[in-house]
Amino acid sequence: MDPREFDVIILGGGVVGAGTMRDCAMRGLRALLIERADIATGASGRNHGLLHSGARYAVNDPESAAECIVENQILRRIAAHCIEPTDGLFISLPEDDLSYQNTFVEACRKAGIGAEIIDPQLARQLEPSVNPDLIGAVRVPDASVDPFRLCASNMLDAKLRGAQVRLRTAVTGFIREGDTIRGVHTRNVQTGREVDYYAPVVVNACGVWGQEIAQMAGVQVGMYPSKGALLIFAHRVNNMVINRCRKPSNADILVPGDTVCIIGTTSTRIPLENCHKVSVTPDEVTLLVTEGAKLSPALSETRILRAFAGVRPLVSDDNDPTGRNISRGIVCLDHETRDGLKGFVTITGGKLTTYRQMAEQATDVVCRKLGVDKACETATTPLIGSAGRSYEEVAREIWEAPSTAQKAATARLGSVVSEMPKRSRQDEELVCECEEVPVWEVNNAFERMGVSSLTDLRRRTRVGMGTCQGEFCACRAAGLLAKAQDCAERERADLLKFMGERWKGNYPIGWGESLREAEYTQWVYKHVLGL
Amino acid sequence: MKHQEKTSSKHNFEECMKCTVCTVYCPVLQVNPRYPGPKQAGPDGERLRLKDPYFFHYALKYCMNCKRCEVACPSGVGVAELIQAARIKYDHSAPKLRDRILASTDLMGTVARPLAPVVNGVTSLGLTRSVLDATLQVDHRRVFPKYSGRSFESYLKRRAKEQALYQEQVAYFHGCYVNYNYPQLGKDLVKVLNALGVGVRLLDGEKCCGIAMITNGMSAQARRNAEHNIAALRKAEADKGVKVLTTSSSCTMTLRDEYPNLLGVDNADVRDAIQMATRFVFERLEAGATLRFKPDYHKKVAYHVPCHMERLGWGVFSERLLRMIPGVEFTLLDSACCGIAGTYGFKKENYEASQAIGAPLFEQIRAVDPEVVACDCETCKWQIEMSTGYSVQNPISILADAIL
Amino acid sequence: MRFDTVIIGGGLAGLVAGISLQQAGRSTAIVSTGQNALHFFSGSFESMKEAPERLTALFAGAGIRVHYNPGVRLTPLGTFREAELSLEDISLFPEAKFADKALIACVPGYLDFFSAFLAEGLEKQGIQCRLCSLDLPEELQEGSVELRSVQLARLVDRDWKKIVQQIRLLIKDEDAVVLPQLCGLEDTSVPERLRQEIPARVVFAGTMPPSIPGIRTQRLLKRRYEVLGGTYLTGDEALDAQVEGNKIRSVRTHNLDAHALEASHFILASGGFFSKGLRSNPFRVWEPVFGVDVDFDEDRNAWYNEEFAGDQPYMKYGVKTDAALHLLVGGQPRENLYAIGSVLGATRPELGSGAGLAIRSAFLAVDEILKTV
Repeated sequence: MDPREFDVIILGGGVVGAGTMRDCAMRGLRALLIERADIATGASGRNHGLLHSGARYAVNDPESAAECIVENQILRRIAAHCIEPTDGLFISLPEDDLSYQNTFVEACRKAGIGAEIIDPQLARQLEPSVNPDLIGAVRVPDASVDPFRLCASNMLDAKLRGAQVRLRTAVTGFIREGDTIRGVHTRNVQTGREVDYYAPVVVNACGVWGQEIAQMAGVQVGMYPSKGALLIFAHRVNNMVINRCRKPSNADILVPGDTVCIIGTTSTRIPLENCHKVSVTPDEVTLLVTEGAKLSPALSETRILRAFAGVRPLVSDDNDPTGRNISRGIVCLDHETRDGLKGFVTITGGKLTTYRQMAEQATDVVCRKLGVDKACETATTPLIGSAGRSYEEVAREIWEAPSTAQKAATARLGSVVSEMPKRSRQDEELVCECEEVPVWEVNNAFERMGVSSLTDLRRRTRVGMGTCQGEFCACRAAGLLAKAQDCAERERADLLKFMGERWKGNYPIGWGESLREAEYTQWVYKHVLGL
Repeated sequence: MKHQEKTSSKHNFEECMKCTVCTVYCPVLQVNPRYPGPKQAGPDGERLRLKDPYFFHYALKYCMNCKRCEVACPSGVGVAELIQAARIKYDHSAPKLRDRILASTDLMGTVARPLAPVVNGVTSLGLTRSVLDATLQVDHRRVFPKYSGRSFESYLKRRAKEQALYQEQVAYFHGCYVNYNYPQLGKDLVKVLNALGVGVRLLDGEKCCGIAMITNGMSAQARRNAEHNIAALRKAEADKGVKVLTTSSSCTMTLRDEYPNLLGVDNADVRDAIQMATRFVFERLEAGATLRFKPDYHKKVAYHVPCHMERLGWGVFSERLLRMIPGVEFTLLDSACCGIAGTYGFKKENYEASQAIGAPLFEQIRAVDPEVVACDCETCKWQIEMSTGYSVQNPISILADAIL
Repeated sequence: MRFDTVIIGGGLAGLVAGISLQQAGRSTAIVSTGQNALHFFSGSFESMKEAPERLTALFAGAGIRVHYNPGVRLTPLGTFREAELSLEDISLFPEAKFADKALIACVPGYLDFFSAFLAEGLEKQGIQCRLCSLDLPEELQEGSVELRSVQLARLVDRDWKKIVQQIRLLIKDEDAVVLPQLCGLEDTSVPERLRQEIPARVVFAGTMPPSIPGIRTQRLLKRRYEVLGGTYLTGDEALDAQVEGNKIRSVRTHNLDAHALEASHFILASGGFFSKGLRSNPFRVWEPVFGVDVDFDEDRNAWYNEEFAGDQPYMKYGVKTDAALHLLVGGQPRENLYAIGSVLGATRPELGSGAGLAIRSAFLAVDEILKTV
């Protein structure tokens, strides 16, 4: 069989693309995923890390809410190693209308979300960092999710089932015969090599860039991108998600995630052409800190690590070109029925929490088109790494007395650690000290996870996500990568680029400790290392 | 935005810049490459422990609590505090019998005192030490301090009336060492203070400062002692604002800093009243008080700043005081840890590390070849005497010896 | 306690000032919050385009050997940077191609020495490179958690003979050997010994901080200062000053609390943001001990250059001074208060930057103080 021929080609390496790739592979299809940059470089890599219970949407968008809670429960089972089951609180502050709480709880119950009103005193005990002035609290099954891990796990799982991935590969055009899509023209962004791939169905899971891709295929999909700004704090302040119990507004969710916590978010419409270069404005920083402090006063006096912004791939309600009716839900477009274009499907809208459902819908359409009659099993089959054991259990199986780094790496990788080859003493050296990432975890990323730059590495291992923001680890990782892939010249440029990216997230909050760290980083990179 | 004008975190851990200077100065890391080092054990580890206590690592027990990481830190992070606080919070394993014994100095002192000559004889026997090594893992090479037949408290109680006659009064937190092992130091302090016209009294019931309990997993007991001691200090202070003097650098650091920072015992109202005797005496002499020195006094003195003294920053007072004594040929030894770290060096699993850590200091002392090594810490004294054979005296004792 | 001069900050600037003053018979104290930027020192005294006798004499007195050979030095990432005055173990070359063939020796498992980058950088200059691995010291073979320069340096100093033996066996026809800068921490003679015993030109390439030559320099300067009678207060932080008229009367510190340090002169050598000589919050930049005038931009957005590699405006911020380096409060100079080193930022461009700024400003302030009684 021609190695460039597949049953389905999926465009876009975010969670939806990865999830679709997995579902297709599980249903026996030969799948190929093509991604222009790296995994989770779109909205999948720039979000709050929140596994919604759906409570936030219960009052205004009960359909979304119901979708969320179903997926929330599913992902807790099948993606356990990507999720921290923190639960969440919806708090009412003295200035909020406490009667909204009843409306809220009622709506949750209707949507199937377990919402429990608890005494503020109990809330303070459960979550000591919560604003002590709260007058009401509702407990819901919100959770924290690592979207990079989720994306990488879906891809790894799919690869083990025979699917293939081409990263750093841009689609330059569609292979179209009349009203049928037959494949895509691609070019490798690094090498320039051009290859064509063929499949009877192509799935557009490109998020906000879906409009561009659809246009290339010859159809119109109207995107209405909305920017959201967020702040990451240097360490965890809370262990439960904290929300405001009121109509959804800006900066009213504080989510704990691994070693940090994140306050968000905002909502600003931006033109499509600006989606590549979003940054956080000083006003947004002020808003996030001020509102965040209402959820947890400690944020007023907590070091901020970085500021970042993501772009929501919002799409208009179908057939409405004015953009007035923005759909909040999942939008799955079979372009054959919609536009008369065969072999092309777009899956967009939705949210991180419902990615699996989105992948299921897209795969259902694909299977229908291919005449494959297989049911979706992604809801009941755990992802690779989530084989039903906690990371503590996995670590205990491998080491008698695991070091902190061994524990941390296991917590990130999940059960795949059991199947990894034996590690030498030198492999236990730390590359990233802030996040405790050992050499073996980095090597694994180089070898099995398609890493060819420091930003790729960061997404898969947390190298550079700690408080030093790459000061030490970036160099070490660059040295290792230079050796592993024999690319020292490329790595020097990569190192500079990586540090530039970290700086972009640093200077919007460049005061206090962050400024000290920045000055130190400048000193090390310019004067000591001579970069 | 009224926020972010300043930031604060427990023990300042968020101020860590990852500069790794603490790791450069950690004595443990120099000899034990398995120890994660202060940065990892402290501020790095804290971020992970906040997520899940599971990330606590038992290797943190290798921290000597010498505080040199904190002295070296340019960011003001309480590195050692973070490590000890993590041990207190997350290490729920019950302390071994050996650790309980080593840490319960009040108990051991009280029990040993009536039988002091017998105890001292027995503990110096090789056989005893071999048995202790085999059963409790107390290293057989470690020399035990001798116990005194009479406690310092009994000595001072007998002189309470005469001491009360002095116009100015201070209270003396003597600590376990002076009370049970070496009352002579207490007597030396009384001599010096009396010569300055200051009378000495005991606190109303003093317990062990608790430093060994804190590092040996007995923080609840330590807290009880702390509350008791602070109450006694408050009582002394309330009584005409009497200062409380100490001669042990570790007791001082514990009373002033470990109580609030590790045990959560508030001492803000009495902290400033706790002063080391050498500082008190120096400040008096600097302000014009005089002492009558022996005319033919001569001593070659090498001063070792104990780790906790370096943390307090008060080594300069002991140093200056010694230099004030006519006839003293003074050498300041390079700042280095002696390696014993209190009960740490008694434990079999740490003995070799202790001796390796102290080796540069011992070498230095031999090279200087003083008549006496001055040092404000009793466990440093045991370590240096055992490892070099040179005699070690508290600066107050040296001063008492030099005055008429 | 009373001194002639109290110096806030025990880094390069503070120590050079302290040593100079002690040598001139003045009593001084240095207050230092922890260890300092010398621990990240590259070994080259940046912006010292000359080697003043006064400086080399001061270093010689401390046992610090320097050399002055304007040219280039090799950076840890295999690039070349202009350098003039440097520590002796930092090689200075007239041109980047310092050999035809080089053997780069690395330590297995030590991640802070970038042999791949060094090889690529040297190859670019026409130097043929070959990599080899030294044996890991016994103690570390069992396992270490964090392998840093300091741990290795102690062992290299102890086992330098073994390293010589290994290199002698490994070397083929290379005319240069590139070693990581991991020696001469405790035993300052080791770099020279390696140079003498290894049959090729020995070039030490730097590693990630902590810098061994930096730590050594700090230790030697501090020891020299103390031997001259200076009082070095480590791990203490200056809190505030007591002012009388236009003069500083004393400074209080964290450890000495009520026991203020009195002096006739005060020197602020507290460094930039990293060492907390300057502090910042979202609204302003200030100097925390004396509250003196600081040159900074009121608009926070102007503090940064969006490009990481570009010059950063905030790194130029510093305290304002008059011609004689007196600090200003409300535009008025404090009679007995001086500023030296990187706390000046780029407010005195004629004095240079980095090490050059530290040294020149220290000498200037010392000369001013010595004019007075």
